[in-house]
Amino acid sequence: MTVTRLDQGQRHRPRMAFLKKIEVLVMEMQNTDTGIKTQTQRVMITTIPHAVAARLQEGVCALGGLQSTVRGNDILQWILQRLQITEEEALHLGDLFVKYGYIYPLQEPKNLTLKTDGSLYRFQTPYFWPAQSWPADDTDYAIYLAKKNIRRKGILEEYEKEHYNMLNQKINYKWDFVIMQAKEQYKAGKERKKADRYALDCQERAYWLVNRTPPGMLDVLEYGIDRVTDPNENKIMYYQQAIMKSRVKSSVSLGGLVKYSEQFLSNDPILSGCLPSNPWITDDPEFWDLNAKLVEIPTRMRVERWAFNFSELIRDPKGRQNFQLFLKKEFSGENLSFWEACEDLKYGDQSKVKEKAEEIYNSTFPFGRRHLRSSPSPVILRQQEEEAKAKEAATTVDITQVMSKLDRRSQLKKEPPK
Amino acid sequence: MVKEECKALLDALNKVTACYRHMVLTIGGTSDSQNLREELKKTRQKAQELAVANRNKLTTVLKDKTVSKEDKAEFERLWVIFSTCLEILEIDMRRALELGHEFPLNVPKKHLIQTGMSGGTSGVAARAMSVQNMKYEAEHNIDVVDLKDLENEINQVGEMMYEMEMKVNVPQWTVEAKQDPGAELKSTISVGASSIGMISVEENKSFCDISKILAGIIFSAVLIIAIVLAVCVVKLS
Repeated sequence: MTVTRLDQGQRHRPRMAFLKKIEVLVMEMQNTDTGIKTQTQRVMITTIPHAVAARLQEGVCALGGLQSTVRGNDILQWILQRLQITEEEALHLGDLFVKYGYIYPLQEPKNLTLKTDGSLYRFQTPYFWPAQSWPADDTDYAIYLAKKNIRRKGILEEYEKEHYNMLNQKINYKWDFVIMQAKEQYKAGKERKKADRYALDCQERAYWLVNRTPPGMLDVLEYGIDRVTDPNENKIMYYQQAIMKSRVKSSVSLGGLVKYSEQFLSNDPILSGCLPSNPWITDDPEFWDLNAKLVEIPTRMRVERWAFNFSELIRDPKGRQNFQLFLKKEFSGENLSFWEACEDLKYGDQSKVKEKAEEIYNSTFPFGRRHLRSSPSPVILRQQEEEAKAKEAATTVDITQVMSKLDRRSQLKKEPPK
Repeated sequence: MVKEECKALLDALNKVTACYRHMVLTIGGTSDSQNLREELKKTRQKAQELAVANRNKLTTVLKDKTVSKEDKAEFERLWVIFSTCLEILEIDMRRALELGHEFPLNVPKKHLIQTGMSGGTSGVAARAMSVQNMKYEAEHNIDVVDLKDLENEINQVGEMMYEMEMKVNVPQWTVEAKQDPGAELKSTISVGASSIGMISVEENKSFCDISKILAGIIFSAVLIIAIVLAVCVVKLS
């Protein structure tokens, strides 16, 4: 039983969609009439340091190889002329071509930048182009490292050695295959011309420099998290849904913005000035003292603000406090307590959610309150007390008190006529 | 017996896959040609035949209950190698299809990428097909015609892999590799004439010299003994 790789390939990464645009440009560059002029260069192996030890012993160096190369300056000029952009932009774009691995430098293989001083570059074979749908596979990298091991007789760079050991542990079950395949690919490579073999080595090296960057180099293919769903698929459905979304006329939305601005203009301390003075300018913190969260007497501007809408009242701690007092007088304070408890549930500690929910439920809703015999909130109690008092006052009438009140009133009435 | 046959088949498939990879690398480059496309087709068909043969052999062995435990472990290891090889082959075939679509050969407006490769891949193909020289007999528009076949073959390989997964229950991760890291170095030293750097070339030479001198000494010693014996015989008689 194998576990098929979950295909979170690069096609799910829409940020890589620009690669197609680069490909179009690179293919245009190949045009013999309007493209870049390539030079056939005798590739002198001795100028390329890595090849000296590995190649000389084989007796023949690829001096005779005529291979087409491009100058950095030519690339820049072609981009300038084709896209009609500024030199800075063209240089940046050309640099991106090299960084993404469509063109690789010959003289300084590890330095993936576009130099316009006549440095030589060569185009990468299409198999090694970065593509949205083909991620660089670990198995392939392991095969490449094994091949390099064979070719360089065990001399690998430090980071490559680390990768090698790490891969050996990670895909250990495939390791026999990796070694078999590496040996076969190495032997098959010998069937090609020497110059082509060298070119192939350069190509592979450039590919893996881009896809498994050595430490210290910028990883240009970094695209963020893998997505499981593909936003490129079902484009029709996606756009249909986008069309169906309700839209607001700009006159309406702009009207709303204007209204909001007009309403809040006078309250804004920056736009309408603040009294007594702006603390940032005069270093006098009186403004902040006067507008503290739970100050004794709120400023007039602040109270006016509460009148704008309900959310302003609730947002301001002093406003909320006053609102709470008001509600208590109306025997409706538990409503605000309920709301505050719900806010606490929303934004509070996740582990206590269950307890809090139960507490709110039990204290707020009167379902089976009688059966539960839980003590009601103090507001309810007080409300019940007041109601009881009022009832009592209504039922028991004290005659003597009433008579004395009436007497006093009549006495007062009698006096003025005197 | 069966083990050796399986191994041989697997080695053959491995070789063909490696050659196929080499050839797919050159699609779209300057050494791309109708010949290359034909080579790709032939190599791919050979790979498929080998894959089917491998699968049949390995499934019969793995379904056999009379196999001993060590043998079973060994066959499971071969199975894992086989399925990985097939995965790589399928990926290469898909890429070949994509690249084939992108780089048709007879369209004058589409140009090949100047990759700097000049030689052909006939040697690689010959190695894959195990023949001395490749013969090219296809039509001139094989690059377009072949793509349909390629699609069908990719589907076939995909189905084969699915069937394999369903029928044979071998968890990949339980297989332990026989080769240690760095194993590729040991075998190549023994195989080729290429030696470890310049210094060891001289060492080898000096070793050869020593063995030659030794052989010479022994030979001359034997000769002297023979002469002495002959003289003794002559003297005595």
